[in-house]
Amino acid sequence: MHLIEAQGLRKSYGSVRALNDVGFTVDAGEVVALLGRNGAGKTTAIELLLGLRTPDAGSVTICGEPPRSPAARRNVGAMPQHTGFPDSLRVRELVELAAVHYAHPHAIDDVLAAFDLGALANDRVGGLSGGQQRRVALALAFVGNPRVVMLDEPSTGLDVEARRALWEQIRAAADETRCVLFTTHYLEEAEALATRILVIDRGVVLFDGSPRSFRERFGARRVEYVAASGERTVVTTDDTDGYVRELVTSGAAFRDLTVTQSSFEDVFLDLVGGGV
Amino acid sequence: MELRLLRAHVSALLRDLLRTPAFLIPTVGFPTMFYCIFALGYARMNADTANFIVCSYVGFAMLGVTLFQFGVGVANERGRPWERYLRALPVRVATRFAARVIVALIFGAASAGLVALVARLLSPVTLDAAQWLLLALSAVLGAIPFVLIGLAIAYWVPARGALPVTNLLYLLGLFVGGFFMPPQYLPSFAQAISPYTPTRQFGELLWSVTGSHDAAHAIAVLALYALAFAAIAIGGYRRDERTRYA
Repeated sequence: MHLIEAQGLRKSYGSVRALNDVGFTVDAGEVVALLGRNGAGKTTAIELLLGLRTPDAGSVTICGEPPRSPAARRNVGAMPQHTGFPDSLRVRELVELAAVHYAHPHAIDDVLAAFDLGALANDRVGGLSGGQQRRVALALAFVGNPRVVMLDEPSTGLDVEARRALWEQIRAAADETRCVLFTTHYLEEAEALATRILVIDRGVVLFDGSPRSFRERFGARRVEYVAASGERTVVTTDDTDGYVRELVTSGAAFRDLTVTQSSFEDVFLDLVGGGV
Repeated sequence: MELRLLRAHVSALLRDLLRTPAFLIPTVGFPTMFYCIFALGYARMNADTANFIVCSYVGFAMLGVTLFQFGVGVANERGRPWERYLRALPVRVATRFAARVIVALIFGAASAGLVALVARLLSPVTLDAAQWLLLALSAVLGAIPFVLIGLAIAYWVPARGALPVTNLLYLLGLFVGGFFMPPQYLPSFAQAISPYTPTRQFGELLWSVTGSHDAAHAIAVLALYALAFAAIAIGGYRRDERTRYA
């Protein structure tokens, strides 16, 4: 059984089509990064998976159950947006409230420690800084120890340390029985964390595969050098070795030769820009 | 499981409100303050007046808690991101609603209890134990239509407007219903519409505990109001669902 199964999802808001036939499955052990530009449909996809919205067509199951059923929801941990918490509640109380809903939650203190909230446990949520509130939101997603964790832009607004802590939690939350799906604008984050990358653009899945295949498929290498004329030359090719060999045997003068892998970002921009 | 969740949500709502003095003090203390300032002088005249007035003010207390808890409270929360998070948790909507009802009952009991206590101590009320119990029961059951009126406000009026709208209906309702002065002393225009208002019928129900008022008629009218506002509240709830969660 897939932990997440989405089939033929379509969703429009008025005349704006947010998703147009999106389907994918996520299995235990996977960390899936959902990438896409603003407005590509990432948040809509997450909302459909969480059962917060209903698709116009298509279906979602979480652990084989419809997403709005208690059976599905007991297996899902999501993060709230960090604004609008019940201000007077203390950090620990809020995390405890979330934990009560799950059968096998993590120990509260462990989760607080994981997100560096131990010292703030007895502070009221309303008095925390924006970054601190974001860490509380993350703690709420993980505390239930669910089989499926879904995070919508979890690292936005986090400092470097908090981001590292988040990465650790994401890695720990995907094992033989569990998975994590997250959206992000940071490609290096997807590259560092994900076992699988899903790219959505204009409401359709443009790519679905490993970070490695993502790069291999779209990420040609580049050869750069300055020719004798002083002109800077950039060549993109799959066979950099062959190109350099030819360049050298041709006897042409050049200097400052570098061979680089296209960055993740280049690949991504090629992909969504080119429309594949 | 669901009971544990109910307890957790009641506790969270209670703590949040208890730590908000700006909510707590007016909600719990307002009716007693009004009682002392405006009513106590009359209540001390004789037992009948004292009885009539304590029944009014117990209703006044319940009315405030229900209208503000369900009107303003729900209106403010339905648009918050926190509400979205709660919806994604494995807890039934009914359980969270039950938690809110319980919290309203607790604050209602505190607010009305305080009025009853002050009345018992400072005025010549003659209610016996059975009558106090009947008064409590009437106050709780009679408040149901106002829970639904509150919800109708919450789902049809934008959050910013909920407080002024609720305040207006609350004070007008109390006045026309005969809570500040007995119905027979109301100005003639108010007397003319008074019998058709839910607050007046709520008053009739409460006053029937000690005097000769038609409880059955009051219950029938209140039930009609409850049905009407249940329909309006459900319509508003569905509209909210369609715009926010469809």
